Amino acid sequence: MSNQSLNAFMPIIVMMVLAAALYGAALLVAHLLSPSKPGGNKDLPYECGEEPVGSAWSMFNVRFYVVGLIFIIFDVESVLMFPVASIFKKMNEMGEGTYILIIFLSFISVLLEGIAYCWKKGDLDWVKSYKRSVDS
Amino acid sequence: MENTIAGYFLEFEPLQYLVQNSSAFFGFDTTALIGFLIFFIFGIVFLGFLATVGGFGTIAERKISADLQARIGPNRVGPYGAFQLIADGIKMLSKEDIMPRSADKFLYYLAPFLSLFGVVCTIAVIPFSGDFIMADLNVGVFYALAISSIVGVGIFLGGYASNSKWSLLGGMRGAAQIISYEIPVTLCIMMIVVLAGGISFGTIIDQQAGMPWNWYIFHNPFTFIGFFIFFISNLAETNRAPFDLPEAESELVSGYHTEYTGIRFGLFALAEYIEIFVVNGIAVSLFLGGYHLPFDFLEGTIPGNLLQFGTFFIKTCVLYYVVIWIRWTFPRLRVDHLMSLCWKYLTPIAIFNLVGVAIWMVCFDGQSMFDLLFSGSSHSGGGH
Amino acid sequence: MFSDILFLSASALIIGSCVLMMWTKNLMHSCIYLLGVLIGVAGLYLTLGADFVAATQVMVYVGGVVILMLFAIMLTGGKDFQSKTQKILGLLPLMGSKYTFMWGTATAMVFGFCQIYFFRHLFTSLELNETTSNQYAPTVEKLGELLITDHVVAFEISSVLLLGALVGAAIIARPRKERPAFLEPVDDHHHDDHEEDHH
Repeated sequence: MSNQSLNAFMPIIVMMVLAAALYGAALLVAHLLSPSKPGGNKDLPYECGEEPVGSAWSMFNVRFYVVGLIFIIFDVESVLMFPVASIFKKMNEMGEGTYILIIFLSFISVLLEGIAYCWKKGDLDWVKSYKRSVDS
Repeated sequence: MENTIAGYFLEFEPLQYLVQNSSAFFGFDTTALIGFLIFFIFGIVFLGFLATVGGFGTIAERKISADLQARIGPNRVGPYGAFQLIADGIKMLSKEDIMPRSADKFLYYLAPFLSLFGVVCTIAVIPFSGDFIMADLNVGVFYALAISSIVGVGIFLGGYASNSKWSLLGGMRGAAQIISYEIPVTLCIMMIVVLAGGISFGTIIDQQAGMPWNWYIFHNPFTFIGFFIFFISNLAETNRAPFDLPEAESELVSGYHTEYTGIRFGLFALAEYIEIFVVNGIAVSLFLGGYHLPFDFLEGTIPGNLLQFGTFFIKTCVLYYVVIWIRWTFPRLRVDHLMSLCWKYLTPIAIFNLVGVAIWMVCFDGQSMFDLLFSGSSHSGGGH
Repeated sequence: MFSDILFLSASALIIGSCVLMMWTKNLMHSCIYLLGVLIGVAGLYLTLGADFVAATQVMVYVGGVVILMLFAIMLTGGKDFQSKTQKILGLLPLMGSKYTFMWGTATAMVFGFCQIYFFRHLFTSLELNETTSNQYAPTVEKLGELLITDHVVAFEISSVLLLGALVGAAIIARPRKERPAFLEPVDDHHHDDHEEDHH
């Protein structure tokens, strides 16, 4: 953890450029080497040999969305916890260990409360939340 | 330029000479420019190295699976089939690139790129050795965690753009799985951050120097559990068996890359195999002492760095072997089991570990189990 | 030098993706262009030396929000549904057409330049000197110190806020007990994602 110049971020940009270059080069070489005879049934999406029925873009189950929502909350919580975690050791060496432990644990306890709630209400179940609604 | 590979190489005599002369010639300070060139060269070197490792990963996969099933495996191309990856590469390059008529063309082209992009960008912070790290960023681990989440978008788009039902199911599952298993991974990393007191890879690895009992996996019982949580979650993050739901052959044909042929399928596969190496490298750096040898030997010089690099590589390859071993040993999970494993087992255990490590830090002043056991009671402050 | 290049490429990415995001009629493409915008914003944070905020931007927005949006679009079924809406909107004058966005962009730009013109003295006083743009202190530790000293209450309350958000999200997304008549279970076998349990 020392001062860094902005140049330390160069590799990120370099790797981004290289990723694009690798993709472009691979596609270019493939374009030069590979045959291209479009048409016929090979342009149809694979459906176990049958003629494909309709478009695949249909309405999807809501459970993926629920997982996404829960994930985002946890993601934001962990992002907030990272800076505190990174100075945990330093504070502990300064003798403030108990103080930061209480702060840290109270934050985590709220997180635990959230997961306990979702667990109890069945939002973490993949199948049950759907089945329960049909049964009732 | 400190803490980067360019900073390391710019200290050498010939390069300083080059910087001075070129600065005099062009009339401005060319340190950044030369640094950029060094980054570029080493970016290509690392990327080429990892692509080769990924290629050998496919052979290793087949050889090891053959071994486990008492077969011989590929043995025609080169000695022990070692050049199979070249044959595979040529085959993929020369196959026709088919796109379904009803596909979303733009997203169809973009999806393998995003998948590759997320993996390749993480290479920038992977600590291959003390000085062979492209940049030891202050937020290194966090950056690796963040940028690799783009892979999930790539997999989802690969499934969506094909306009095939199998692909779409695989893509949706893949995205849901990847974001879910990111939570235990994040919590395990945070556990290590609490212990190490820093987010950069350099800080974390330097605290694990020396003998294997200084490694964080043996620091306390919580980190020991944490390593396995991290490893299991990483299997799911990289869509490896037993978590290969997005590409489950027996139910989804081939998952999100059902419709991909030729080189674009190859790029998806390459991204996956590189990602396995990358996440195992991160696991090695966080828990298994990273590149450190048990002794300081030629530290800072190029041979010493190569030695450290070898250490890192061997540790990572051992984990790579375990990943492949698991794939050919365990049956695949069902999709609801997958989700309940993540949210009901791994995440609560990871939170428990995090709390345990925080309390351990305060009670035992951050000393490891072995310090407490073997160096007597003289060091153990506070707590008990 | 590098910060200039970074700034220029990031802003080019933002503006280009923004324009494309507005231009395209495909919701999915729009979402992907949004991904470009968000990565560009992370690049802008980097030019300011805020590495942790940049990584957070990528982690939360790219890894979380964009995927959530993609899932939300999949709730509507993606492309087909979307083109119908455009037709209905297209009946109204200047709604849902390229011209709306063109006029909107032009207006925004005019207003933006007016603002820059009127507040130009603020910009000149904010000269970025060399030291700030070349070196920066580690931000994570400073953030952590601030979070547990000055802003400790805000830090703790934010966790409660997030708990509220989690509970709210779970309640909204939960299937209702009384389902409307047109969503009876008979229908569900067809609309569901084919991987269902039939027990």
